[in-house]
Amino acid sequence: MEASFPTNATSKNKRVGVLRFLGTNCDLDTLKAFTALGCEARYLWWEDHFDPEDFDYLVLPGGFSHGDYLRSGAFAAQAPVCESLMKAIDQGVPTLGICNGFQILCELGALPGALVSNTSGRFKDFWVRVKSNSGATYKMPIAHGDGRYFLPPSQIDKLDTISWLTYEANPNGSFQDLAGVKNEKSTVFGLMPHPERAFHDWMGSSDGKKLLEEFLGV
Amino acid sequence: MSNTTIDSDLQEKLSKYGLSFEEYELMKLQLGKDSGKGSGKEPNQVEWAVYSALWSEHCSYKSSKVHLKKFACQKDEKTDLFDEGAGVVDLGQGEKITFKMESHNHPSFIEPFQGAATGVGGILRDIFSMGARPIGLANYLCFGDPKADRMSDLVDGVVRGLTHYGNCVGVPTLQGQTHFHEKYNGNILVNAFALGLIAKPEKLMTSIPQKSGLDILYAGAKTGRDGVHGASMASQSFDDDGPAQKTTVQIGDPYYEKCLIEACLEVMNAGLIHAVQDMGAAGVTSSSFEMAAKSGFGLDIHLDKVPLRDQTMGPEEILLSESQERMLFMVEPENVKAIQKIFAKWDLDAEVLGTVTDHQKVRLFFKNELLSEIDPHKLTEEAPAYNRPFDAFETKAFDKSSEFGSTKKLDEVYSQLPAVSRKWIYDQFDQRVGASTEKDCRFSIGVQRLPSGRSVGIALGCDPSLTDACPVWGSRLTYLVPSFSLAIKGFKTLALTDCLNFGNPQKTKVMGQFASSVDQLASLSHGFGTPVISGNVSLYNETDNENVPPTPAVGLVGLKSDQTHSIPEDCFQKSGDQVYLMSLDLCRYDYELKTGQAQVTKLTDGSVTYDIKALKLFSQFCLENSIHWSSSQVVEKLGLEYALSQSARKSRLSLKWSEEFKDQNVENKTKLKLGFMQILVSVKQQNLKSFTDAFEQFKKDHLEDESLKHLSLIQLGEVHESDEYVSLTGESYNATELTKKHETSWRKHFERLE
Repeated sequence: MEASFPTNATSKNKRVGVLRFLGTNCDLDTLKAFTALGCEARYLWWEDHFDPEDFDYLVLPGGFSHGDYLRSGAFAAQAPVCESLMKAIDQGVPTLGICNGFQILCELGALPGALVSNTSGRFKDFWVRVKSNSGATYKMPIAHGDGRYFLPPSQIDKLDTISWLTYEANPNGSFQDLAGVKNEKSTVFGLMPHPERAFHDWMGSSDGKKLLEEFLGV
Repeated sequence: MSNTTIDSDLQEKLSKYGLSFEEYELMKLQLGKDSGKGSGKEPNQVEWAVYSALWSEHCSYKSSKVHLKKFACQKDEKTDLFDEGAGVVDLGQGEKITFKMESHNHPSFIEPFQGAATGVGGILRDIFSMGARPIGLANYLCFGDPKADRMSDLVDGVVRGLTHYGNCVGVPTLQGQTHFHEKYNGNILVNAFALGLIAKPEKLMTSIPQKSGLDILYAGAKTGRDGVHGASMASQSFDDDGPAQKTTVQIGDPYYEKCLIEACLEVMNAGLIHAVQDMGAAGVTSSSFEMAAKSGFGLDIHLDKVPLRDQTMGPEEILLSESQERMLFMVEPENVKAIQKIFAKWDLDAEVLGTVTDHQKVRLFFKNELLSEIDPHKLTEEAPAYNRPFDAFETKAFDKSSEFGSTKKLDEVYSQLPAVSRKWIYDQFDQRVGASTEKDCRFSIGVQRLPSGRSVGIALGCDPSLTDACPVWGSRLTYLVPSFSLAIKGFKTLALTDCLNFGNPQKTKVMGQFASSVDQLASLSHGFGTPVISGNVSLYNETDNENVPPTPAVGLVGLKSDQTHSIPEDCFQKSGDQVYLMSLDLCRYDYELKTGQAQVTKLTDGSVTYDIKALKLFSQFCLENSIHWSSSQVVEKLGLEYALSQSARKSRLSLKWSEEFKDQNVENKTKLKLGFMQILVSVKQQNLKSFTDAFEQFKKDHLEDESLKHLSLIQLGEVHESDEYVSLTGESYNATELTKKHETSWRKHFERLE
């Protein structure tokens, strides 16, 4: 099986930028998780630009960026920090979007498709099992109202290349049970479950830690 | 009543501002003294507004404070109970916690979504205004009969409101209780609980300014017309116009609250804030007057400086608006710029409204015109307080001939509301944001990991069907059940918060329920050494003369320091574990299954003496021995067979009754019938001897104790692998079918809720 993640990162002190918008609420959790993995993690404020050269990885955490008004992630995608983010993505800096971060990456067009309201019309929080295209399974929690992945018919031919994680039991009506997708170059990843909330066994699972380690190429 | 005839103009004002004629006379007298007129001064419009808000039941506790003094609590080195919104418990290792529970009943009945949402917002501000970062939410809800008018929409609206606000603001909901009783048809209860942590870099804040010359800073979202007269609305009974009072309900925005939390903690941690108070009920008015009254200083406030959503708002509306997401700071003038910069970064306003002065008056200005000059001490210290007449309640004595109630057929119980899974509700809460959740809403207590590696547990209490049947026993169990729920999971109870929801205090029966509940909770708090660190009273939960059952909800927080042993689960864990029941015949009850309810028909004393000291010892025994158990639960209203079947269906392990127990005499089996306190545990095989030895030693140590003499340990049987739960009388129930019933019966009661 082909590995999902890029393995080009070899730097010992991995520099991780965590994007922070007004209303982001998993910022600290995400920062803590990457710090615990031995990275040098720091915040990137939504109004500021940054130099892509300064970071080995970029992470967009979950939350309700700018109140998720209009559409989940819509305002965040217009923030100045995203101009630098798109530059970094163009240069191939590995990027991960979790939950609201995934929604922002779709809004930016950095990932195909969109995330729309769960079929139940309600926010859902519970544990799910997802399977990656490399065959690994992970137990992680979801917590979202707009988590139904939608891929327009015009892009269906991309399905095989973008497919990354699928739910064992579809909780929200996602197209093809997709819980996470990647870009065609396998440098940008987005997922709805929260790996940082499955980091220690006492949380209920530590599979999320395993997933983040794989993202870092550990 | 004075002889003065009340003209219709005054009558109209009294009813608009919710004051009685006697209170009006007292207000005139206070204002007269302030302006040197001994005979009294007629209040102007602004003064009417200020007195109306601060003398409302909601802000002044005028009917309840006589009784609340009983909570006055033992101060020790661990708890700091200075005059703030909530007390603080020092956990050592640089960690302090604070928590509080507050009602938002009236607004939630009028407009369930915003009412419930702003309930969450308000309780969070109580917590972070103390400098604490909110780390956990919980909720205690009471609804009426699902078939009652609007009830399905109320349930939907309240749950959407709570989840919308809590999820967006990024604080996990860790625990909840939802009760249904037809006496809530006209008044639902929405009580929100929040827990906050003060650990580096957070600093404990005060609401009491220590000097004059400070600037008064308004910080947060802009002020609008929402919630004007909210406090006085929440201090009255409803007639048939409840839902028509929508403009008195506040509108919340959790996005601003999230920004406000971050901005406030940033300025507080930077040491830029001298004193702070959140703007809750009666907005600018109550926060400023309370800060002034507590400090002994005066305030000059320019109301036209308040940032407004609508520039046409007048001073009275500005004073009484309950717009959300706002704070009042007292700061050194040289820090104003730095604070404004941080607030601007978080997209929030911060405007100077005035200054702290030496003249000991609160002077309100609008466009440089002095509107009023009020002595905040008189207003708060000499506020009306009533020792309202009440009917006392007593428990019904133990009667030897009185039978224990018997447990009901399980397949009947499982489709009734008390047994129906609350999954539909809690699945909608974000229970894990913060990445520190150890046990979520599915568990009997909510558990959060602290940065130090220790765990805090949250347990809520109050079963209104029990308090309705007997306010005395109901209130005792309100404390005892969550207290034991923490102990049997290895958590030492630290402190408690209460949220006392009652009907119309001007009715002697209701006031009697209130007095009984406070008496019982206060004596348990003293006896167990559990300080009441915060609280809230909600009266006038009455519609068309129908009062809610006495509902003294409590929230208890406990600490588990030793992580070498894991928390005992709620359900069976391993085949071969031995199942025991610890039973103390404290009180007995019976219930009927009627219209979806388990209605308690009687609740009487049991055969042992009610002795708080003995109960505390028993609870301590549970705490120390929880390390021996793989599972533990407090047997609640639906009885032991229900508790056993729950444990079995969730684990797909079952109980094999011991032959010895089955053969035992009737007297012993009687103990399996309905009564409190019963603790069900499964003991790890390797710990069996240590546990039974410890129990015997405990009994030996307390041979003289009249109550503990009767504490019994009954071996029920052994955990074995089976999909079937077989009851004592031999009926067999399939685990999958019970689970299906447990999880799908919600739909039967709430057909329209997707």
